[in-house]
Amino acid sequence: MDSALSSRALTKRYGRRTVVRDVTLQVHPGQVYALVGPNGAGKTTLIRLLSGLAFPSEGTVRLLGVDPQVHPEVRRSLGAVVEAPAAFYPWLTGRGNLRLHARLAGGVADGRIDALLAEMELTRDADRRVAVYSLGMRQRLGVAAALLARPRVLLLDEPASGMDPLSLHIVHRALQDAARSGAAVLLSTHHLDEVVRYGDAVGIMEEGALIDQVDLAVRRGRYRVVVDDVAGAMAALEAASWTTSLTQRGGAVLVQLRESGDAARIAPTLVEAGVAVQALSEDVFDLRGYYRDRLQAERDRRREVAQERVAARAAEAAPVGDDGAGEEAP
Amino acid sequence: MIALLRMEVGKVARLASTRAALAVLAIFPLLWAYAPGVFDVYGLFLVSGFQVPALSLLSSMEFLMPLLIAIVAAELVGVEVRTGTLPTILLRPVTRSSWLLAKMMVLLVVPFLGMAWFLAASLLTGIPYGFEGFVGGTGLGAGGLAGAGLLTPSAALAEVVRAYLLAALALVPIAMLSVLATVVTMNAASGALATLSVLIVMNLLVIFPGLEPYLLTRHLSAYADPVAGVGWMVALLALYAALFATVAMVLFERKDF
Repeated sequence: MDSALSSRALTKRYGRRTVVRDVTLQVHPGQVYALVGPNGAGKTTLIRLLSGLAFPSEGTVRLLGVDPQVHPEVRRSLGAVVEAPAAFYPWLTGRGNLRLHARLAGGVADGRIDALLAEMELTRDADRRVAVYSLGMRQRLGVAAALLARPRVLLLDEPASGMDPLSLHIVHRALQDAARSGAAVLLSTHHLDEVVRYGDAVGIMEEGALIDQVDLAVRRGRYRVVVDDVAGAMAALEAASWTTSLTQRGGAVLVQLRESGDAARIAPTLVEAGVAVQALSEDVFDLRGYYRDRLQAERDRRREVAQERVAARAAEAAPVGDDGAGEEAP
Repeated sequence: MIALLRMEVGKVARLASTRAALAVLAIFPLLWAYAPGVFDVYGLFLVSGFQVPALSLLSSMEFLMPLLIAIVAAELVGVEVRTGTLPTILLRPVTRSSWLLAKMMVLLVVPFLGMAWFLAASLLTGIPYGFEGFVGGTGLGAGGLAGAGLLTPSAALAEVVRAYLLAALALVPIAMLSVLATVVTMNAASGALATLSVLIVMNLLVIFPGLEPYLLTRHLSAYADPVAGVGWMVALLALYAALFATVAMVLFERKDF
């Protein structure tokens, strides 16, 4: 499948400082790709490079197969929030700002603005000036503006930062819906627990580099069953066509399903085979733990590299045949 | 482009600096027309309402008008940086050059509208002095305020309008310079200050007499004291404006946001 958004060896330098380093990624239609990483890791700059707002020092960006710098018209298919909180003209109303965006986007279907305001639960405040909007309302209006022209690619820089749980739910639901309707979604976020529920891939950034990419789709649909007879459970589930893999872990079996909807078939199958089910729960991928460990490992690796470099420099600086000449003279 | 132009027209009307400038331009003629010390200090004695616009213009073109136009132009660009809307707009299918061009097109008109407002305020202020024919000058034509004999109302009005048009024209390159400075600094206050700094330096360059006819600042007073013919002045100012606009455009095209 062709990617809707991709970068190859993307690098951005400001003077001698490299803020994005050799990033290669792909986001396919219908996929939600989350960029995670500590503050200052380069997520915002990467999103600006991908959107065409900033120019790469090296590497390439392809938006629907073309370079957005060379073909700015491709941005008709792009929806984006690149400021946190989303930026609007404060003297215009929420609806007025969306109308302005609609005009700049070349027009949108009748009722689209009202539908988006309703989806973002902003109908009641639509005719108030944005200057009086709360942070969460601005963010939701930002997502509404990004979705306005039914984009095929969505780029969002921390679209849910500073949001209350309800606003957070609204925004994540809207992004999920957009992906379901075929849009490629790339967002940067610190909400790992939300992302793990509906994201398809996660890219972990540290010091400008994409240090790891995790395929969440293959880690979804996994269930943990605690049983009285592990061998019996393994045999029963192995015979089922709707499982793809089984792993024994202590007194439990980890079941990977072809489709999440098949979870309801686990317990009846085991009971039928004479195995007592003591507990059954979704084995949610511990993205938070994985992220923490991965980041720590990367930092340890960098520290080691730095120490080796220092040691190598010290060795180079030491005089050949040093026999204590470096000691202080009396 | 139409959508962009509409947006920019709406924006310039809402800018705080535009409103402040309009207020200043409305009040300024009052200060001159009714200042008790004008006769004592300058030996001026107004005999016609047509002389108020001259006083307003003569006292504002040196510093006030360039300052106001530089601030408005800088804020029209800088407001996008302040509100953070610039990247959002540039992510729409809008080219960078068309976005900046829309601002520049609006700023081409702003000096003329500002001058029209200033002229209207000056003429209104001059009502108590009357607008009949008078012996003397408007201060913007032959013979200055002393004039060269009887001046009819239509001739006086023509002199005043012509001077205000030329003054507005001289402000256009300053607006473009301010856009350029704001594109470089990406900050309205810094852009306006940089513009004024350039104008001050240019003012000092009169110490090179050969340069004087080509200095932008020299043409700020050309409405009353022309260096050469109007055609030459228009060509030079257009060249300045085009140069500043082109450099701003080129820099803006390569800027990271």
